[in-house]
Amino acid sequence: MPIVVLAVLAALVALLPAAVPWLRFVFIITIASGFAALGVAVLLRAGLISIGHALFYAVGAYAVAFLMRATGTTDLFLLLAAAVVVSGLAGLVVGAFMVRYRAIFFAMLNLAVSMVVFSLLSKLYGLTGGSDGMRVATPTLVGSALDREAFNAVFLYVVIGLFVAAGILVQLYFRSPMGEALAAVETNEVRLEYLGVSVRGVLLSAYVLSAMLAGLGGAIAGIAIGHVVPEMAYWTESGHFVLVAVLGGIAGPAGPFIGAIFLEVLRTLASGFAAETWNLVVGVALLLVIFFLPEGLYGIGAKLFRRRGAQ
Amino acid sequence: MLQALMPLLVDGLANAALIFFVAVGLSLVFSVLRILNVAHGSFYAIGAYASVSLSLWIVSAGLSPWLTLPALAVSAAIVAAILGPAVERGFLRWTYGRPESLQILVTFALFLIFEDLQKLVFGVQSLYQDAPVQLFGTSEIGGILYLNYQLVLIALAVLVVVALRLLMSYTRFGKLMVAVVADPEVSQALGIDTRRVYMAAFTLGVFLAAFGGALASPTVGVAPGTGPEAIVLAFAVAAIGGLGQIEGAALAALVVGVVRVLAIYFAPEFEAVVPYLVMLAVLLVRPYGLFGSVRVRRI
Amino acid sequence: MRSPAVAFAINVRVKYHNTFLFRASGTQSAEANRNGCWPGAEGYEGVVMQVWKGLAGALALAALLGHASAQEKPKELGIGVFTFMSGGPAAYGMPARNAAGLIFDGINAAGGIGGVPVKPVYVDEGQGTDAVVSEFRRLATSGEVSAMIAALSSGNCLALAPIAEQLKMPTVAWNCDTHQLFLKDKYDYVYRANSSTIPEFVATALYVLDKKPDLKTVAIINPDYAFGHDAAQIFTAALKAFKPDVEFVAELFPKLGASNYNTEISRIMAARPDVVFTNFWGADLENFVRQAAPRGLFRNSQGVLSVGEAVLQSVGSQLPDGVIIGVLGDGWWQSPVAEKNAAAQKFVADYQAKFQAYPVFPSFKMANTILALKAAYEKAIAAKGGAWPTAEELSAALDGLTVETLTGGLTIRSEDNDGLVDQIVGVTAKSDKYPFPVIGEMVRYPAELVTPPAGTDPIAWIGSLDKDFLAKLPKPGSAQ
Repeated sequence: MPIVVLAVLAALVALLPAAVPWLRFVFIITIASGFAALGVAVLLRAGLISIGHALFYAVGAYAVAFLMRATGTTDLFLLLAAAVVVSGLAGLVVGAFMVRYRAIFFAMLNLAVSMVVFSLLSKLYGLTGGSDGMRVATPTLVGSALDREAFNAVFLYVVIGLFVAAGILVQLYFRSPMGEALAAVETNEVRLEYLGVSVRGVLLSAYVLSAMLAGLGGAIAGIAIGHVVPEMAYWTESGHFVLVAVLGGIAGPAGPFIGAIFLEVLRTLASGFAAETWNLVVGVALLLVIFFLPEGLYGIGAKLFRRRGAQ
Repeated sequence: MLQALMPLLVDGLANAALIFFVAVGLSLVFSVLRILNVAHGSFYAIGAYASVSLSLWIVSAGLSPWLTLPALAVSAAIVAAILGPAVERGFLRWTYGRPESLQILVTFALFLIFEDLQKLVFGVQSLYQDAPVQLFGTSEIGGILYLNYQLVLIALAVLVVVALRLLMSYTRFGKLMVAVVADPEVSQALGIDTRRVYMAAFTLGVFLAAFGGALASPTVGVAPGTGPEAIVLAFAVAAIGGLGQIEGAALAALVVGVVRVLAIYFAPEFEAVVPYLVMLAVLLVRPYGLFGSVRVRRI
Repeated sequence: MRSPAVAFAINVRVKYHNTFLFRASGTQSAEANRNGCWPGAEGYEGVVMQVWKGLAGALALAALLGHASAQEKPKELGIGVFTFMSGGPAAYGMPARNAAGLIFDGINAAGGIGGVPVKPVYVDEGQGTDAVVSEFRRLATSGEVSAMIAALSSGNCLALAPIAEQLKMPTVAWNCDTHQLFLKDKYDYVYRANSSTIPEFVATALYVLDKKPDLKTVAIINPDYAFGHDAAQIFTAALKAFKPDVEFVAELFPKLGASNYNTEISRIMAARPDVVFTNFWGADLENFVRQAAPRGLFRNSQGVLSVGEAVLQSVGSQLPDGVIIGVLGDGWWQSPVAEKNAAAQKFVADYQAKFQAYPVFPSFKMANTILALKAAYEKAIAAKGGAWPTAEELSAALDGLTVETLTGGLTIRSEDNDGLVDQIVGVTAKSDKYPFPVIGEMVRYPAELVTPPAGTDPIAWIGSLDKDFLAKLPKPGSAQ
């Protein structure tokens, strides 16, 4: 079922821009935030809310910018792979510290670390260009240089392919013993430890996976926009990812993508009459989903509200 | 030597006072409701907007500028009286007992809504009204002129810490709050109306946030972005002090304020990172903050 | 890699420019357009030009498969206008937005540009660089606009310029002035209708040297991004060129929008510098002045507010007389040139009537940029014999454009697309006409004197300045 949803989504996203070319860029950015939201959703499965995942989004984006500047690498796939590796490593380092904490402390510490990185990116003017950010040139595709529009046309399909692949991988992960243990962390962590499962190991691997997903999203956004800025790590961006994940529903990997696309559609619809009050629209939508659609738009098995019955 | 150190001390305390007012309401709300209120920064900003608007009206109506002083507290009280009960009764009470992540999301949604409401009501430009600053004049300390208003803020911060402590320890309302914090269910069984305690505590938290914004507005003004900036600082300070600890927040504000001033004097490039670095350093040593205690893990 | 066709087109463009450069003034081309022909387009050379241009266009078209072909005259002309309309920087950005509205209304009331009404699309830079970039892309690729006036912030210009180039979107920078914009990168579609940080802060430094010839210690407090760091580097280099032993006792870069500068002010006051330089702007500058002035910072040290004119009306009354005030260009509404210009005076009166304030220099930067873009359109239309220009033809018209603005003259030099504008500097002086100080002891440094030649390393150029250079300069008060 999730695979079918993914495929339908992918087909929709693939076909529309053929008719309306400027939608390509919008869709690429939308899917990029979908990746980051998917990363957040992985952790939400364990009941952990991170208001700091914009950190890895920014790490992925800056990894691309630095790699281009330092080594002159322009190959798209090399850049994306490098961004995933770098953000995975960042996830490992930060995660090793984070998995000691739960609930509010987890949320707040993620926020704090992302704000440290945000401040550093803004402050290290000589290295990162400060708040001006860094440029990202149009990458090459397996050796051939394309002009921006042609590149975006191809890039969109690359990104769709990645999102289907990531969706399937995350689905497999959720069904693996590690993934099942992750969901069990929320329900009863101590019992899990009595079963001989290393909770920290389970959480750390989930954290690294979520960091890699967010990093990939950031790399895609950085390449699509052609510019990376410290604001990519700002806490409201993290909040946006959580929001996308919850709007879409966190039960399956398609949820965050649905959330991202839903938000973008909503934004397009709202731009006519509520461009100035966009946050208000999103805030209300989020409240409605939380109170009346607890399982998110995706709608299957909401983890967040399960516990209510248990209490 | 002392002469050279005095400015450091005054600047440190002045900074700490501003930081304390950003954070204290957040800590108070957390200590009673156990909710991490992301919309706290919005209350701070709305308090600033309200007080600037009221002061601007007072000045333009030709009333005595001294009236802008009580206006700081009055505007905060109005904001708290309207928003406190509305937000607590309208939204937060539905989330009691639910996962923290859900509570954080609800307050995040409120934060988004308040951000746009502020723009609709108060516009998008930066506003200020510095009559209170001009009323107090300046004093020379250690060879440097300071705004007396800065010194007034330091005194007020101390006053608020003491007042909150007295409120908690010696008044009926304070004792009820302490009881509810200790055990909501037993309190309820004993006949305490926990709903009213929650509502009152939240409203007090909103008042402190709005008051903080109001006090800062004469020197730093208010503009879109004030709320989001305030909340991160508040989080950092509350976490350093230990969530829910009033004295902890005061000590944390002092530490962050002084370290920030040292940074500006001796290593300005680190100034922006100071609150977070202090937070990480403290939490590495004491994971639940300076005054915090480990909560029992559920089985 | 450039295809031969494109290279050919560029060749043609350069030639075409040399032919028409001398006539590219706004009103003249409008006249020519109404007559349906452009005087210079007659005769053999004009015909050859037309043929060449057509040929080059066709070839370029073949090279850029699938892109729009012959330009039809649009029903309305969309122009993207980027400025800060929210947050602290809006204190600087809104006067420009207000000016844009007035100027566009005036243009439309007079029949638009080339007979086409203009429809400005305003974009708020306050939403962050990534959102600004996204909006630029959307506007450019959806066909909603045909030209951009972008942007206010140097950071945004640095981000937008390569994108404008990729999307072949004619873009005129109206305010952003970082000299890094055209330092390394060559653009065909990005132009700047104002001066860069180099002449702006060299001018400030020259004025400081004139007013405070015996200065020994300097403190700098600038916002923490390209504009602030560039200005610090330029101001420092310019002072050191003439006073190598000057000491910098504090260099502080609080982040943009930090709003509370009290500790920084204490730190500067403790160092007791002869001169305090800042290029804060918008609400940051207002906050800084409101916090620093009552604490006596500008009484103890010579204050240098290099972007100060924009806040004279809001917080200027808190400043003592004699604080050095920069204009970043020539956009001071009471400069002798502006006072003699009837269009400028009408603009000032209209602005005052509509917004209950006088236009500040960001208003003039915006107004002058729109006038430059209009002149470029008219130049391009005239060159095409009345037909509507393509993006490339519009860009070609911007290249080397000279226009008379409301407050002086502007040339966009062909070598690096940068604007040449005079620099006005002065000091605060009490006014008996206004409740805020005005600029006294004014000097107007000619653009060609204080702007380094294209292609030179600007910092090295500053280092090479000497006493002979100083002798050529006008003195404070000379432009009063």
